[in-house]
Amino acid sequence: MAVMPIERGKIREYATSTGAIQPEYLEDPRAPIPPTFLSTVIFWDQPGMALRDPAAVEALASLDIKADMTQVLSAEQEYIFHGPLPRAGDVLVTSHRFDRVEIKDGRRGGTMVFLKFAIEFRSEEGKLRAECLYTSAYTTRAAVTQS
Amino acid sequence: MTATRFDWTVGEQLPPRDFGPVTTTDIVRYQGASGDMNPMHHDDVLARSAGYPEAFSVGMLSAGYLATYCTDFFGTESVRRFRTRFREIVWRGDVLTMTGTISEVRPVVGGVRITVDLQVTTQTGKCAVQGLGEFELAGRLGAGPSS
Repeated sequence: MAVMPIERGKIREYATSTGAIQPEYLEDPRAPIPPTFLSTVIFWDQPGMALRDPAAVEALASLDIKADMTQVLSAEQEYIFHGPLPRAGDVLVTSHRFDRVEIKDGRRGGTMVFLKFAIEFRSEEGKLRAECLYTSAYTTRAAVTQS
Repeated sequence: MTATRFDWTVGEQLPPRDFGPVTTTDIVRYQGASGDMNPMHHDDVLARSAGYPEAFSVGMLSAGYLATYCTDFFGTESVRRFRTRFREIVWRGDVLTMTGTISEVRPVVGGVRITVDLQVTTQTGKCAVQGLGEFELAGRLGAGPSS
């Protein structure tokens, strides 16, 4: 859990890095966030904390997969917004949620382990404003080198 | 910003738009903005040691371009849901073509909620990112099309 201030300068920086140049992002002191902006939560919190859940740890260990950065691939990210879009000046409070583990055969061989987890973003009053749903794939080496 | 249309129809295709070719600068700028400093996206030596031919782009950079493609059509305040699935690795030098097809239009109070099937395709024809967006073109637009 962390407190994440939505900052105007960060919105401007993030928007520009994704080719978004609308004045609403660049000039408005109360700029709305771009659709994927909440990925910047990693400056404030660690989404991967959800993976300390015993079910995630057990699944990786049982397949002898080392959860280091050279073997993790981001498979999917999804943002869901509730109520008004967060904007510069808002303060959001985060919390973690571990959803489930899925084990599948990779398209190019090997075994892939999909870990589904989420960060919830709430107002300081506790109202749910947004969710980021992550699917991370840990893969055995065979699955990535046969491409 | 572009004029926000209100009268989208199911099956309608958005005009395609290219981003890139993706450069090292694009990647590191996105990494700095997003806070995801995973070295697999800028450290060729590390990427090769993990079995990749070189460092590769960030999935969320493609997702960010796709989001910009959408907010340029639907406005900066309308997103309700935005999902991206990362299908193929994007390499430096790739040109990314954004496409979208309206798959659902339903009325909501004061406007419409549209669902858009989205895709990021590289110059090789491979689908790098499969996306889905939901946008609410609502109240602030009034009762009719806005231009």
